Formats: sequence, C-alpha cells, structure tokens
Amino acid sequence: MIKLRLKRMGKKKTPFYRIVVADARSPRDGRFIEEIGTYDPNQEPSLVKVDADAAKKWLKNGAQPTETVAKLLKNAGIE
Amino acid sequence: MLDSRTLFVYDTQGGLMETIFERTLLFDFYGELLTKRQQEIYENVVMNDMSLSEAAEEYGISRQGIHDTIRRCEKSMQEYEEKLHAVSQFEKIRRTLSSLQSFVEQEENGIPEEARAVIRSYAGEILKDIG
Repeated sequence: MIKLRLKRMGKKKTPFYRIVVADARSPRDGRFIEEIGTYDPNQEPSLVKVDADAAKKWLKNGAQPTETVAKLLKNAGIE
Repeated sequence: MLDSRTLFVYDTQGGLMETIFERTLLFDFYGELLTKRQQEIYENVVMNDMSLSEAAEEYGISRQGIHDTIRRCEKSMQEYEEKLHAVSQFEKIRRTLSSLQSFVEQEENGIPEEARAVIRSYAGEILKDIG
C-alpha cells in the first residue's frame, strides 16, 4: 500500500517537514517515492505548500493519507 | 522543485500543524531525557507520522501501549517545560530576532548595507547559540 505521510527534516530546533509518498512497508527507513509538499514552521506565519495535482493523482490511485496528512489536504481544499 | 507547480499556501495559525511543531520542539529540547525506546516511539509516531497500529506492530505492543507511551512522554516533557521554560524562551528570542531582521531589511529605515550585514551576522550568531 502507498501512503502519504509527513516526514520530519531539518536540524534540531529548526524542524521542517515534507509531505511524502511512501510505501507503507517502509515507514522507518525513510525512503520515499516522491515529495508532494512541505511545511515550514520557521517562518511567520508558517507555510504549507502542497502540490495539489500530485496529491490528487496519488489519492486517485488509492494512496492512503495518514490522519495528519488527510486533515492537511482537507484544509488546503484537496480531497 | 515544488515551486514550478500548483501550490496551495495555507496559514496554519493555531491549527493542526502548529501542534505538530510544538510537539517536535518539545522533543528537540527534552527528548534526551526520555528513555531510548520512548524516544524512538515518539519520534516515529509524532514526527514521522507513523500510525498507532504501524508502531504497535513495529514494537510488538498494543496500540493502547503506544498511545500510553506517547502520552507519558508528552506529560514528562511538559513537566520539564513548566519548570525550565527552555522552549518558550527559545521561541521568544527567535520571535524578537525575526522582528529585528524585518526591521533591518526595510528600506525606509535607512540602514546602510554594511550595517545590515553586520546585524544579520550577529542575529545569525545568536540564533545558533540558542539552538
């Protein structure tokens, strides 16, 4: 199964996140297929960028967003 | 890479992402005070978005067990924060620095470029020291 999940990047105390497409079987090794967005909380206000086309494409193909990513996409008007 | 495509920019003030950010910062400051196993579970679930059932499978305990671990981690890190205030201090200094930075960069404030460069580098230095 393919999942859309959030992945923490960035060094200590300046976290930065990616929204990635990854195989459900590799949650821990960090490998991912594609990056479809970012979340940068180090700016004021914090900034979420999502590639709407890519997100829709993956969802249409049956990719499962995690709860967090699902909420995030909903907030961005993608579903 | 992302900038060339269709993007949504979304203000997360007070929202879901804010919470994730806060939980991450809490971990960056106090994570090392947790046990190795707690650290690993917290990192995977909270910061790398592993679901409770994925984590349960990974660590050979129940979903409830994972849930309790996360709660316990959070509770002890919040208690450290209540006593030490490291995260809130850090955030306060960072906000002040960012105000200073935007002040310096504004043309109408008439700060010469050389002075700007010096202030920028001091601000960077402070940020590094508190990080």
